[in-house]
Amino acid sequence: MSAVLVEEADPPGGAGVLEPGDGGRPGAPSDAASGDGSSDLIHVLTCGSVDDGKSTLIGRLLWDGANLPEDARAEIMQTLLPDGRVDFSRLVDGLAAEREQGITIDIAWRYIDSGPRRYVIIDSPGHEQYTRNMATGASHADIAIMLVDARHGVKSQTRRHAAILGLLGVRRVILAVNKMDLVGGNEARFREIEADFRALTARFDFEDAAAIPVIATTGDNVARSSSAMTWYEGPTLIEQLNRTPSRGTVAAAAFRLPVQLTVRGASDFRGIAGTITSGSIAVGDVVLDNASGRTARVRRIATMDGDLEVAHSGQAIVLQLDRDLDISRGAVLSAPDAPARQVRQLEARLFWMADAPFDPERRLFLRGATDLVPVSSTGIKAKLDLDTLGEVETSACAHNDVVLASLTLGRPTTLDCFSDHKGTGAVVLVDALTGATLAGGSVVTLHEAEGDASTGFILTTAVLAEAVCAGLEPSSPEFRHRANGVAEILKLAGVDVRRA
Amino acid sequence: MSVTKPISRLDVLEAESIHIFREAAAQFRKPVLLYSIGKDSTVLLHLARKAFFPQRIPFPLLHIDTTWKFRDMIAFRDRTARELGLDLIVHVNEEGRARGINPIDYAPSLYTDVMKTEALRQALDRHAFDAAFGGARRDEEASRAKERIFSFRTAGHRWDPRHQRPEMWSLLNGRLGTGESVRVFPLSNWTEGDVWRYVLREKLDVVPLYLAAVRPTIERNGKLLVLDDNRMSLPDSEKIIPRRVRFRTLGCWPLTAAIESEASDLLSVVTETLASRTSERQGRLIDHDQAGAMEKKKLEGYF
Repeated sequence: MSAVLVEEADPPGGAGVLEPGDGGRPGAPSDAASGDGSSDLIHVLTCGSVDDGKSTLIGRLLWDGANLPEDARAEIMQTLLPDGRVDFSRLVDGLAAEREQGITIDIAWRYIDSGPRRYVIIDSPGHEQYTRNMATGASHADIAIMLVDARHGVKSQTRRHAAILGLLGVRRVILAVNKMDLVGGNEARFREIEADFRALTARFDFEDAAAIPVIATTGDNVARSSSAMTWYEGPTLIEQLNRTPSRGTVAAAAFRLPVQLTVRGASDFRGIAGTITSGSIAVGDVVLDNASGRTARVRRIATMDGDLEVAHSGQAIVLQLDRDLDISRGAVLSAPDAPARQVRQLEARLFWMADAPFDPERRLFLRGATDLVPVSSTGIKAKLDLDTLGEVETSACAHNDVVLASLTLGRPTTLDCFSDHKGTGAVVLVDALTGATLAGGSVVTLHEAEGDASTGFILTTAVLAEAVCAGLEPSSPEFRHRANGVAEILKLAGVDVRRA
Repeated sequence: MSVTKPISRLDVLEAESIHIFREAAAQFRKPVLLYSIGKDSTVLLHLARKAFFPQRIPFPLLHIDTTWKFRDMIAFRDRTARELGLDLIVHVNEEGRARGINPIDYAPSLYTDVMKTEALRQALDRHAFDAAFGGARRDEEASRAKERIFSFRTAGHRWDPRHQRPEMWSLLNGRLGTGESVRVFPLSNWTEGDVWRYVLREKLDVVPLYLAAVRPTIERNGKLLVLDDNRMSLPDSEKIIPRRVRFRTLGCWPLTAAIESEASDLLSVVTETLASRTSERQGRLIDHDQAGAMEKKKLEGYF
């Protein structure tokens, strides 16, 4: 191997290292024992069409910015391209099956530590046949890098990817216009592609969207500013990536806890186990079970490391309530002042991933956060036209379509709109026979079932009656607590509380 | 909109793993935890305990014993099971043992196939487990990097990388088709560094072989082997030399290379590991046996 090539390949620790601010050298021993690791973590999806040079770009990111093991470097250096250059794509093409075909089939997960930040690169296949795998990756991404070949610009597959990103709630997108060397670093060509990208940005509500001209093979505008394209004054790819906030960041929002299972402990301990998908919870807070309309107060937040006073979105916890709500897997506990909805009818935007087209006769389940509900009927209303970016009415749906579907469920379940709560508004459709995941997407409209108000009224009246029977004094805090909960629910159900 | 302090990366990973354990326990009829005694298994077991606290772990542990593990590993396994009151199943491929399949006289690939892959299939089939937790991480190796968290296997325990089930958000769809079973990887998104940092943070006990000590070694094909018993006969050219060594990964002793190191406590091991510039699989002799070795093993039902 040639030492010159190693130098040309910008060893890690150089100017372009992936890191926010001026953090330490990757893997520096001083960082080693900081018991907790650092808090910074972002998931980056890369997507593009076949031959856009995506694997080369990721390889370039790994090579320039990462704590890549030396044996991996050495292995790559053993097989160079015919012209003697390093084949960066070999750092990412994983499977023998893929190497044989020269295409990427499935997403590959790569972990790059750079200073205090962990970049999880989710590399997704460009081949149309495997777009479902790109969608899998997109659902886990905080930011997406969409790659296009400067010679070909925005293609149908680019628009499909943009639609999927929009559908799955990825709001930060970078368009990397690659192979700029093959169009002579031409600014006009770049601006043309950028304009096409702006149309997608507007249509799918991307925020903080940037278009960047890059040359993955040489690293221009990847880790270092290009000297060949001085007309471009924007950030490099890595600078733009570094503007993404960490996924450990907790935003203020209404509390949601989809129940995974219940756990039992010594004596009367009955805990509700789940991961908080939104908001926070503290000991003493009141939670609502939508299905029964009943509320309870949090007595303990238990973990093996001791009880917590407060827990936030993203934490996996066990709640012990002050009364048994008799709930199990599939229920969602919500903040009573901003609860989830109990529904049997909804509309969802779905990406159809199954090879076989939608068949209205097929038995399906809707999988929400933790509930698996039989679907009694499904109708396709419209599908996205990738050329016009508009929706056209249809009742059919095939592989790779993005459609608007209306679903009626066999029983009510607890959901949110995806735009309000990702964790309780994301759904997949499951084939009842094979278990296969056929489609995935987001809840856009919820239809409160008729009679919900009266159901709520009956349930809450029952709760009050039970409180009276239990001998609670109307002046006691416990009675007032229950009554307040009841009033909240009645209000939500649209019942005139004073009259009730 | 107010924003609270971000949760640390280890906390994010821990919560994700707990979520995965709970999803699997809720959806599968008869899960089992594949326990291989190493650092990843140690972390896996600890996370399983957290996931179901205050309840006991609601499934058994399974150790595939090739009969060539380091004696320290077996002692650690038995002590851990005793101290935590675990339901531990130990399985050996008795047919392979009777045929005398060993890692010294047979090619590593054949030995692994019989004593590990075949043994695992036997144990899963015998107990009719429909889900098995494993400590594999996506950062370990190229074919691992493509693995789902719920990784489906056909009736013959084969992995089909062309038709992996979409796995969106944290909605882990565990509904099985006829004859299917699943491997569950709660540590998918952890790196080797995360595992060590977590061992340190949670003050977990690990097999002493991870810490440097003077041990009887030989050098073979540029790798250092620690002689754990006298089952390996040595040519005259190979001299037993005491060296201060430790292991980055643990397995069958004739197939696991040691590294020279002065790191004799956990903190220095972690510091040394995170500063290391080679990947941990360097120490696993079986992976270098043939090109795409791990992918091939996985296709055939290896974990």
